[in-house]
Amino acid sequence: MSCQISRLFLRRYTSEAVQSIYPFSNNVKTPPAPILNPTRPLLNGKGLMAQLYKSLPSKHTQEMLGTLFSRRHPNRILPGSVLTVTSSQAPTTFTGVLLGIRRRGPGTSFTLRNVIQRTGVEMQFFVGSPHIKNIQVVQKATNISGKNRKGGLRRAKLFYLRTSPDKMSQISTNMKS
Amino acid sequence: MLRLFVQGTVVRCRRLHTTINQLAKESGQEMPSEPPKWTPESIRTGVIARKRGMTTFWDDHGAMYPATILQLESCQVTANIETIRPDNTVYHAVQVAATDRRWKTTTKQMRGHFAKAGVPAKTIVKEFPVTKDAHIPVGTTLSAAHFVPGQFVDVVANSIGKGFAGGMKRWNFKGQNASHGNSLNHRRPGSTGQHQDPGRVWPGKKMPGRLGGERITQQNLFVVQIDNKLNLVYVRGCVPGVDDAHVLIRDAKKNMLQLAQQNNDKGLPDKVLPKGLVTLPFPAGTKELAKSLPPVVAVVSTGRSPFLPYTM
Repeated sequence: MSCQISRLFLRRYTSEAVQSIYPFSNNVKTPPAPILNPTRPLLNGKGLMAQLYKSLPSKHTQEMLGTLFSRRHPNRILPGSVLTVTSSQAPTTFTGVLLGIRRRGPGTSFTLRNVIQRTGVEMQFFVGSPHIKNIQVVQKATNISGKNRKGGLRRAKLFYLRTSPDKMSQISTNMKS
Repeated sequence: MLRLFVQGTVVRCRRLHTTINQLAKESGQEMPSEPPKWTPESIRTGVIARKRGMTTFWDDHGAMYPATILQLESCQVTANIETIRPDNTVYHAVQVAATDRRWKTTTKQMRGHFAKAGVPAKTIVKEFPVTKDAHIPVGTTLSAAHFVPGQFVDVVANSIGKGFAGGMKRWNFKGQNASHGNSLNHRRPGSTGQHQDPGRVWPGKKMPGRLGGERITQQNLFVVQIDNKLNLVYVRGCVPGVDDAHVLIRDAKKNMLQLAQQNNDKGLPDKVLPKGLVTLPFPAGTKELAKSLPPVVAVVSTGRSPFLPYTM
């Protein structure tokens, strides 16, 4: 109840300041612009979506998309890695094998699979979500270098792990050792 | 042949319309010095934009939602229309045009029309019915500042064409069994009528045919953000049409115009506009207004966080 009152007070206190900048609404915020001097092609829509996909996510998300979830960065996460995700929502930490990355710009997501108390559990996390605090690589995937993929995971999406518990336990034993 | 511009009167003809600016000049009236203010009875013009694509947003509570990005591409007013209907009511409208095109490829008729308005040749020209106070000087460039984050809009566009579609796609028919002895009739419409009585198929019977490529209005879309530099309007949800298609955006008839009038009549000033809104740019959000506003204006999420447990 007290937090509601303080929120009302805050709204009224900030409304005058906001209204001087933006007179049409009280309930707005003014985030920084992605581009202050847009070029003519951007104003005509050329390259607009590519530019927005890069600039709309938060700085933290942009960093992750540029390094961990990019297609060519040396520190990119490969499917088959074991990751731990720290989140502000329950479950606060989740560890699992990366089954695959779904790249959709700001809506990029990835799924982790783990077997918890003899139950297979998969979780899909969205990179752009403000709930995600940290993504830590516990164990890198088998080294895949150049064209030769000997002994390594040769798929972008490891959905076959759902029906092969042996391979899942193989990954976990690799982790322990 | 009726003379269009008769001093001091409006043409009483269904097919021809008059341009208000011209009339004002002809009759020697002075244009009002104070800009008109938005009232709950006013209906503003809409704009023509282009659907650029979709993206994902997270609100302040951390909930995910999809948003469509619409860009205003040199959207200018080309005429103000005032016509008297057969029942002597007056029809007011603002004609808007968007997306420049090559002068050379524009027809002579349209060249004349654009030259009279003093704008470059445009690809699309559409009209928005308005109230009398919402006319805008011809040649004004409209911007994304016309819309306020937190308001609702209706978006009109041509839906994606699906070609000759079957009954299941077009009319959500259930189809028939996949197995159990069914032969050659898995997705077909089945029966189309009764027996000897009526002995024919009713006109308008739902049957396979062309689907899509028609004008669709998506109503009550929430405006989450505007970008005054790139002329972008971000609306929550989906919008008909392909990327780069022209769309018409106007204030929502149900959640804005209707509610404003009704709540004003009831004497509820707080409910006239959606939460947080003070007023709307009137008669329109122009390029000049956009320059005076912050580059990006986004809505602040209201209500309870969906992640918190419900407590009394």
